[in-house]
Amino acid sequence: MIQHRETPDHPPLKLTGVTFGFGRTETAVRSPVLKNVSLMVGSGEVLGILGPNGSGKSTLLKILMRILVPQQGTIEWFGQPPDAFSQADIAQHVAFVPQETQQAFPFTINEMVLMGRYPHHGRTWGLGWEGSHDRAVAMQAMRDLDVAHLGTRLITNVSGGERQRAVIARALAQEPEVLLLDEPTAFLDLHHQLDIARIIRRLNRERGLTVVLVSHDLNLASQYCDRVLLLREGEIVTVGSPEEVIAAASLESVYGCSVLVDQHPQSGRPRVTLPV
Amino acid sequence: MDVLTSHSKETGTVETRALPTSAFLARTNPPDGLVATEGRSVQDVIAFSPVKWLGVSGGLGTVAIVTFMVCLGFGTEAISFPQVASLLIQGVIAEGGAQDNTQSIILWQVRVPRVLLAFMVGGSLAAVGASLQALLRNPLADPYVIGISSGAALGAAVAILFGVGLSVFGLSVLPFCAFLGALVSLFIVYRIAVSYRSFSIHTLLLGGVVLNAIFSALILFLTSLADPYKASGMYAWLMGSLTGPDFQTVIVLAVYLVLGVGVLVLQARSLNLLTLGEEAARSLGVEVERVKRVIFAASALLTGSVVAFSGLIGFVGLIVPHAVRLVFGADHRLLLIASGIVGGTFLMVADTVARTLLSPTEIPVGVVTALVGGPIFLYLLVQQRRRIVS
Repeated sequence: MIQHRETPDHPPLKLTGVTFGFGRTETAVRSPVLKNVSLMVGSGEVLGILGPNGSGKSTLLKILMRILVPQQGTIEWFGQPPDAFSQADIAQHVAFVPQETQQAFPFTINEMVLMGRYPHHGRTWGLGWEGSHDRAVAMQAMRDLDVAHLGTRLITNVSGGERQRAVIARALAQEPEVLLLDEPTAFLDLHHQLDIARIIRRLNRERGLTVVLVSHDLNLASQYCDRVLLLREGEIVTVGSPEEVIAAASLESVYGCSVLVDQHPQSGRPRVTLPV
Repeated sequence: MDVLTSHSKETGTVETRALPTSAFLARTNPPDGLVATEGRSVQDVIAFSPVKWLGVSGGLGTVAIVTFMVCLGFGTEAISFPQVASLLIQGVIAEGGAQDNTQSIILWQVRVPRVLLAFMVGGSLAAVGASLQALLRNPLADPYVIGISSGAALGAAVAILFGVGLSVFGLSVLPFCAFLGALVSLFIVYRIAVSYRSFSIHTLLLGGVVLNAIFSALILFLTSLADPYKASGMYAWLMGSLTGPDFQTVIVLAVYLVLGVGVLVLQARSLNLLTLGEEAARSLGVEVERVKRVIFAASALLTGSVVAFSGLIGFVGLIVPHAVRLVFGADHRLLLIASGIVGGTFLMVADTVARTLLSPTEIPVGVVTALVGGPIFLYLLVQQRRRIVS
């Protein structure tokens, strides 16, 4: 079990010198996807991971969830080494929202969200019916994401925005302290992008949920993140506040094209536009 | 009003909301982050699913028992339904029934073992089908279609034709060879399924077709080496047949099958999560590798023993879970049990048709299931394609 509550000084997530590659160890270390990445995610912050295609953003997120295990380096969850707990133990504290949920099976949204209670059942054998507490937690998560009225609808029959909200509700049903999101607003129209972004910010402010999100949307990251991290070819280029990182010089060096950076008229945060 | 209609077209959700006006207001003036939920049919609590589970499995179980008794009545010697009931009760009391009554002997020594075998085989195939569909994330998976059954058949054919020592430690070698064959082909199919990162239904089916062709060729090759008497028996067995089991056989098989289906049912919750994909399942706390090994072993055990005793019976594992999912939903805790009962019931009926339609000649039951299941499979395949295109 993770004893994080007794040790509040430890950051939720800490990576030290992490190198990861696909395939066998020798080839993985020779051509890694992530090179010597060290990173600390503080409690209650919103961290954005930015970078071009193939820079290792999603891989980094999956390592934080222990979906992938790095060949070199160490990861600590709440100050504990990885072999201190099972996958279910991690899932009680860290939740992951994948980039795209392809669902070929007709689960109802109720059933989908209740799946988030899986890590809280001590044993994974048996029918494991969700008790009244589980159902109450799931219900609250569905209310938070405004999908409670869709409970009996099938996940295969709702719109992309509703499906994404249901998946985030499932993550919240895990009752996590840390929420990892991979491209939460990809495939969504403007309205739903704004919806999801506001929900994430609200969960962060009201409940102190720590959020790590991967995004291609520089403006979304600029508006909603406390800190952003710029990746290039598996290495961290810069980490810092949006004002420090989202600047024309660093973006041009990482993305290899010129951009215009000015200020957002409402928030004053950096705003990125492409030149004509 | 114009704005409202175009908006409902765009999201396609307004019809579920009790008051479209409030949805419209919520949309034009949303509070920070969250949309107000008043004015919609929001559920208060999530229903407790064991109630549904008990109701559905109890109901289907009753249907299965009635079907069992009806099937017992059919045959060259017709026995009426009340007669079946009274002979069954007498038989249970007198352990095997009166030995001087022809009907009782036919019922207890011929029909009961056979119809029970049909139920167990059908139930196991349907449960394996449902599990493989979850594991491979492919609603068209079936032990027969993707080549697991023919792998098991190859294993069994090797055992039969080379007459490997008939039993080791009192256990028959035949089911063990079939189990190994099923396990190997399951492993190959799984490698094919995961080697493509995208969610491809057709890759898996193509892989299954090729695997089926290879295994069938090997079986035919082995059969051509055998003497003609053995070979004709092999052909009959390959087409799927539930002919002439004795009580002993049925009980031995029942042990394997109850064990295998039990293991699958106990993994039902993990199977639910595996349908989300391995990475998502892992992120929700599933020990994916361990669960996969358990499902592999149980599926191979079930397919192996079923094929060893009854040959190749196709499509039960495909159409039954599909139909059950449409009616009762995708939760594997219910799906596996319900598919088992419905699959068993389906095969009892199919076998009764097979042995009575052209009586006294018997049609192989595999022919009946293929003639029913094949067209349904093609229909589903076309539907899947439509869904992908649209």
